[in-house]
Amino acid sequence: MVLGVAILLVIGMAAFVAAPLLAPESPGEGALPIDITPLTDLKRRRMVVYENLQDLDFEFKAGKISPEDYQALRENHLAEAAQLMLASQEQEEVTENDVLIERQVAARRAQRKQQPHDPYTCPGCGFENPLPVKFCGNCGTKLPQQAPK
Amino acid sequence: MNQVGSVGLIAALAFAIYGVVAGAVAGKLRSPRMLKSAQRAVLGFFVMITVAVASLEYLILTNDFHSAYVASHSSIALPLMYKIPVLWAGQEGSLLFWTWLLSIYAGIAVWMNRRKNRQLMPYVISICMGVGTFFSLITFWVANPFTQLSLVSASGTTPFTPADGNGLNPSLQFHSMVIHPPMLYLGYVGMAIPFAFAMSALMTRQLGDNWIRVTRRWTMVPWMFLGTGILLGGQWAYHVLGWGGYWAWDPVENASLLPWLAGTAFLHSVMIQEKRGMLKVWNMVLIILTFFLSIFGTFLTRSGIISSVHAFAKSDIGPWFSVFLAIIAAFSLTVLFLRLDFLKSDNRLDSIVSRESGFLFNNWILLAAVLAVLWGTIFPVISKAVENQTVTVGPPFFNRVMIPIGLLLLFLTGAGPLLAWRKTSFQSIKRNFTIPLIFAGVVGGYLFWAGIHRLYTWMSLFLCAFVIASILGEFYKGARTRMKISKENFFSAVYNLTMRNTRRYGGYIVHLGIVLLFVGFAGQAFRFETQKLMGPGDLLQAKDYLIRCEGLTSGQHANYTYETAILSVTRDGRALGEMRPQKRVYMASQEALSHIALRTNLARDLYVVLAGQDPDSGKVLIHVIINPLVQWVWIGGLVVLLGTILALFPSRVERQMDEIRKTQEEALEAHHVL
Repeated sequence: MVLGVAILLVIGMAAFVAAPLLAPESPGEGALPIDITPLTDLKRRRMVVYENLQDLDFEFKAGKISPEDYQALRENHLAEAAQLMLASQEQEEVTENDVLIERQVAARRAQRKQQPHDPYTCPGCGFENPLPVKFCGNCGTKLPQQAPK
Repeated sequence: MNQVGSVGLIAALAFAIYGVVAGAVAGKLRSPRMLKSAQRAVLGFFVMITVAVASLEYLILTNDFHSAYVASHSSIALPLMYKIPVLWAGQEGSLLFWTWLLSIYAGIAVWMNRRKNRQLMPYVISICMGVGTFFSLITFWVANPFTQLSLVSASGTTPFTPADGNGLNPSLQFHSMVIHPPMLYLGYVGMAIPFAFAMSALMTRQLGDNWIRVTRRWTMVPWMFLGTGILLGGQWAYHVLGWGGYWAWDPVENASLLPWLAGTAFLHSVMIQEKRGMLKVWNMVLIILTFFLSIFGTFLTRSGIISSVHAFAKSDIGPWFSVFLAIIAAFSLTVLFLRLDFLKSDNRLDSIVSRESGFLFNNWILLAAVLAVLWGTIFPVISKAVENQTVTVGPPFFNRVMIPIGLLLLFLTGAGPLLAWRKTSFQSIKRNFTIPLIFAGVVGGYLFWAGIHRLYTWMSLFLCAFVIASILGEFYKGARTRMKISKENFFSAVYNLTMRNTRRYGGYIVHLGIVLLFVGFAGQAFRFETQKLMGPGDLLQAKDYLIRCEGLTSGQHANYTYETAILSVTRDGRALGEMRPQKRVYMASQEALSHIALRTNLARDLYVVLAGQDPDSGKVLIHVIINPLVQWVWIGGLVVLLGTILALFPSRVERQMDEIRKTQEEALEAHHVL
């Protein structure tokens, strides 16, 4: 009896584990999201430098650091923060360009999906063949057959 | 129930293997549905191992002696509170227990990261389940706790159920022994999670400080359990083994100390990566080493390749563990080597006199300690292999090497917080070191005057004074600054200072606990012992204690027979009361065990053992040990535990930073969407 329940439990768990693979694909499903991009990483590092600056200020006020050391260390931290800020800006520009490119690619894909199928255009590489051919002149992919007119 | 347990084990093994594959595929294809399936496989693994654990506990609690494991480690008369720990008293059960703890850790890691670190998680699952596969495989294949007893005769095999079991090893029938093994195991097993995150960060090339931030608590928790487990083991040895000490450099003790030392180095050096973006390769090496030593510790404890007071039977799991350790080393070092280009430091060491170099120095010393302990522990195996004779390395070797190492570490505990990040000028050093050094000098002078002339003992107490002054100074200076800035009173300033940065001030409290431990260790130099055969009316003088034997009694308990000496104790003519050391003979195993009598205060322990009985005169051998300052070891351990718990709390700074990060990430996501 208990053995039967245990075996049923195993079967149930196996079904539970397999369920996500068997379920139909949901429309919004893409790849796993990237939680840490190079830009967020740079921002994190900048935040750490600010945290270090706060600590330095506190330790100076607590009398742990001599005024000369404090000045020199503060300048070092600020220079590091400026460097990271610059790197962030550059990365932001790259990201903006990436976003623009991605958006254009997505728009073109959407446009192509809406348009009726062009028999001369290769579905694989997008090359527009000048003549009705069976195989793409650019990549060799087999082109869909044209319906007889 | 044996069959149910076996079904649980086989199913757990299947889920673990599936989890390895599904995790790797989910990581490679970045597939959310595959990740979901892998996450569920972790849940399946946990449920199935829980079924196996529940089955074994059921067999133990119902005295089912048809089960070979229950017959070997339990008995009818065993009290309930000692029946539950029978689960981890033997080889097979403890490996099953190890696997169960892994399934719990992995399940919590998956649950807590279900909406974050989604790039890391597939490989984290894969690696955790890889470890799970190994442990469920050996639990099922090599050390199965669900084997049934049978009699083999000419007519065939017939099931066999003995009337009673062998009982639990008497030395394990002690209250701290009930939680000592689970604590150690929680420490060993838990190191799998930071290791998995580190490997996943390498595989996905996400090598910023994110994995360090994610795994900080995942390392601190097992480190805390491991430390608590080590101390509970010491307490058990002190109360049960009857030799009056708590640490003997036994291989199994060393096995637990090794990952603790490596984990301590890791917890310190990650701060340099977080603060300065340095030591990225070093941190990887340390977490690999910590995990490797955790498995190595389990291997030493369980394989019986080195003889130990723990007296575990020799078993055939040794080769399996050797292969697994080789796989861990080969896999992790290969992945590390392939990603070396991504692990370049963001900054350089600015000065040799800085907090960073203090941490680095601390790391080298801790690593030297790891190597020394490792060398001493495996020396018998090496000597056997090289010269074909087993040479055991005893406490003198460890004390000679480890005392200077410990004192250096103690000095750094006090000096580290006084150094500034990046560089510290002579002016700043003078500001910060003067008061602690003066205080330590005064204490040191007093100790010398009071007659403490042994170098290491004096040095240890001198450094303890230095560290206490340096740490209390940190609290005082911080609170004074807050009082000036925020107009708070002293107590709320100390509270707010601590809560603002729980990690730093919790760490300082841990250091205070370490100081108290060293005070306790230093007390060992003044240990005194004596012994005498005593009958009713006999007297024994031990320093200023006078012990008189009032009588001897004997009797029988459900589980054992006993012989007790009734002793009255006076100190400088003042009556302190009665002490009753006992000798027990456990019925199931016919093993004898001393049950010590202890009179304790903060200055010293009076430790009395009934060591034996003279059959001719009927007198008993009373062994008396005066152990100074032992209580400080246990108090120090408690302070370390409390400091670690405090450091685990999210600090105000951390919460603020998290909020800023969250806002920034949301802004960034919104930016992407637009």
